[in-house]
Amino acid sequence: MACAPNRVRLLCMLSLTFGFFIVEVVVSRITSSLAMLSDSFHMLSDVIALVVALVAVRFAEQTQSTNKNTFGWIRAEVMGALVNAVFLTALCFTIILEAIERFTEPHEIEKPEVVIGVGAAGLLVNLFGLCLFHGHAGGGGHGHSHGGHGHSHGGHKKHKNGKVRRCETLEDSRSAGEETNNLVGNQNNSPNGVNPDRRRASISEMCHSESLDLQINGSAPYEELENGQDTASQLNMRGVFLHVLGDALGSVIVVINAIIFILVWKPCEPGNVCENPCVSQHCADHSLNISSAAANSTSVKGPCWVLYLDPTLCIIMVCILLYTTYPLLKESALILLQTVPKQIDMHQLNSRLRELEGVLAVHELHIWQLAGSRIIATAHIKCHDPASYMDVAKRIKDFFHDEGIHATTIQPEFVTVNSESRASLCELSCRTQCARKLCCGAVDSAKPPDGAADAKKSCEAKTPTVTSTSATSLEIISESVEETSRPESIVIMTREVESSL
Amino acid sequence: MLPLSIKDDEYKPAKFNLFVKISGWFRSILADKTSRNLFFFLCLNLSFAFVELLYGIWSNSLGLISDSFHMFFDCTALLAGLAASVISRWRSNDSFSYGYVRAEVLAGFVNGLFLIFTAFFIFSEGVERALEPPDVHHERLLPVSIAGLLVNLVGIFVFQHGGHGHSHGGEGHGHSHSLFNGSVGHGHSHGGHGHSHESKHGHDDHGHSHGGHGHSHGGHGHSHDDPCDDDHLHTPGKGSSKQILQGVFLHIVADTLGSVGVIISAILMQKYDLMIADPICSMLIALLIGVSVVPLLRESIGILMQRTPPSLDHTLPECYQRVQQLQGVYNLQEPHFWTLCTDVYIGTLKLLVAPDADSRWILSQTHNIFTQVGVRQLYVQIDVAAM
Repeated sequence: MACAPNRVRLLCMLSLTFGFFIVEVVVSRITSSLAMLSDSFHMLSDVIALVVALVAVRFAEQTQSTNKNTFGWIRAEVMGALVNAVFLTALCFTIILEAIERFTEPHEIEKPEVVIGVGAAGLLVNLFGLCLFHGHAGGGGHGHSHGGHGHSHGGHKKHKNGKVRRCETLEDSRSAGEETNNLVGNQNNSPNGVNPDRRRASISEMCHSESLDLQINGSAPYEELENGQDTASQLNMRGVFLHVLGDALGSVIVVINAIIFILVWKPCEPGNVCENPCVSQHCADHSLNISSAAANSTSVKGPCWVLYLDPTLCIIMVCILLYTTYPLLKESALILLQTVPKQIDMHQLNSRLRELEGVLAVHELHIWQLAGSRIIATAHIKCHDPASYMDVAKRIKDFFHDEGIHATTIQPEFVTVNSESRASLCELSCRTQCARKLCCGAVDSAKPPDGAADAKKSCEAKTPTVTSTSATSLEIISESVEETSRPESIVIMTREVESSL
Repeated sequence: MLPLSIKDDEYKPAKFNLFVKISGWFRSILADKTSRNLFFFLCLNLSFAFVELLYGIWSNSLGLISDSFHMFFDCTALLAGLAASVISRWRSNDSFSYGYVRAEVLAGFVNGLFLIFTAFFIFSEGVERALEPPDVHHERLLPVSIAGLLVNLVGIFVFQHGGHGHSHGGEGHGHSHSLFNGSVGHGHSHGGHGHSHESKHGHDDHGHSHGGHGHSHGGHGHSHDDPCDDDHLHTPGKGSSKQILQGVFLHIVADTLGSVGVIISAILMQKYDLMIADPICSMLIALLIGVSVVPLLRESIGILMQRTPPSLDHTLPECYQRVQQLQGVYNLQEPHFWTLCTDVYIGTLKLLVAPDADSRWILSQTHNIFTQVGVRQLYVQIDVAAM
């Protein structure tokens, strides 16, 4: 997939940056410049960021499920992005601290020519990296079928490898069953299951055929698989891009500072006693002051504001970096917090789901994003009886497919007695953590528009009954309590307790 | 038509809402023991940092000023833990259907990352100093580091014993919290000038053997096999703030040992004039920090990557077998089990059943089986095999 070109880019940039780091360390030893050494450690942090991204990409290629990681490793990219974003933030704080220190005790640059040379070389390396990663990070969420990132159609070798790999991942994910879920058993072709099967057949055709054209307007899951891995790796690449951008800005600042220093700063002439008005008279200058009183010709070091230029520019750079890093941090953190993806409106989805024919109630609907556009949904659906369940299930699956959610797990619940008002009680133990914590506290997403006020009251009324019937191991603690009358609820509890024993 | 009543309280200005929100935060912070502790120690650290800053400005010592800035930087770890403990108690809403409980895992992870970054930074500083030893003024820093060490120790001891046992329903693992709640004593000092954050990190073992506060290692999968009557029934915050507390705890132990390291290196330098002691101490400390953070990172990465809960690793295959032996079940497919936050496991699976099977019975039995191992939220999809 795109992993191959990504990996190549990352490796290339990694080797360049590492080489440059070595160069900087050597130069700093030769010129014994501390600033160069600290800058080289910044380069090292860049190397680490690239390594993190590389590891994430490498892991995320294994999308099939393993024993321990049943979802595969695709989340690794989101983690890589988060790690890079956090790393960048920490780096920014460090730079702020250094800048503040420089404010209190300004240093002048020794050997500015060397600094310019090395800074310019670092800037070149970083600009090259920016070009490498810019196309990828800024490319938006479309699939690679548009040749925008250098994955043009036709058969480059690399391209073919990418295709093959994508096919492999498709097959693997098909065997893991993540993408399309067949309603009616995996082995049988029933009339209901034709559509998904046809999709799968077309995928396998595409995979096995020789001339795979990337611009296949394949079936929806195929493209979305592309998009899924695309946006996930995009997040990762964005992290790397921001890191390289930070480094480039740093190099720019170093070069600008050195140039201004050379042009404006008037150093002490050798042979004269130096008076340094810019550094606060703390300890080191006492001797100078004493002796300068006796000397005839003193020279004053150049304009002091030059020394404050460096920290000021650093602070500006930190502001820019933080501003650009924050969206990445927020996005990856939100994915890891199991939010509902932003393109999905839970409330509307819920109401539309309830409007489906045969669906009596929806409980515990959870939708979250695994990575990229792989969205996973789970729900309890209450329906009339097992016989009609299959049609309802098919309809529900289609509904979710239309929304772009392909990995769904729907638990059916069947009404025991034909009573509409009790339809919304969760039959089995929707075993949530705590009745007190989540029952009335949670804003129920499956709440019907009416009866909201009653839900609170009846929930509080219900907890005493729960504790009294807690003899069984199945506690009926429902998260979404929607029934209106209290005595009815007690009746339901006992009846369902019996049915589960 | 004249209005019968005038409801003024609907139209309050926005400023009032902010005040209400902030006071709401304070109330929720003070409500829970964990966040209360965190908050007080955050205040303690901040005040210590301010005192140091003022003293440094007054005595014009760059070392003290930079050290105080580092303390501020470190307070962010406490702040992150505090924020996470407050946030994870918020209720679920439309965007966060599971609520915000994952925040604590994320906070632990971010703390771990910050610690790794700190370790890397200290290491680089140590290398720099080894190559080019600067002038280190230790006479000012020694009293400061001793004061920091005292604050840390006092904090650890006070919270060790004052710590509220929280009586859990199923006493399998309650102990892990007392230490964590206790050791939120921060306060540290740094040696030298510049950023040598000589905060040492103890390993978890180290922290634990500190006077025998028996407790399990912060979360190396303690297997819970109490089925239901929950420890989570009361303040779920406790069980779930393990990650936060672990991250914060590691940070604090780091600082404690950092103070010790500073003192040792200062003594070495003053008595024996061993200038090389400082950078070597820094490097050792950095290595220790790195090593001790690894368990925390591994655990939170596992949770964030939706890995099967380690404590269920052995019990799940048995459960699968039991489910497959239910009458009418042909096959169990696509099991996914993952951890939402500490001790809350969520699972989904698909069952292929015969057309004449009793779906409801199968469902309730499956739920039963998995509830006994501690999976509270289970989604079982029934696929009827058309024969």
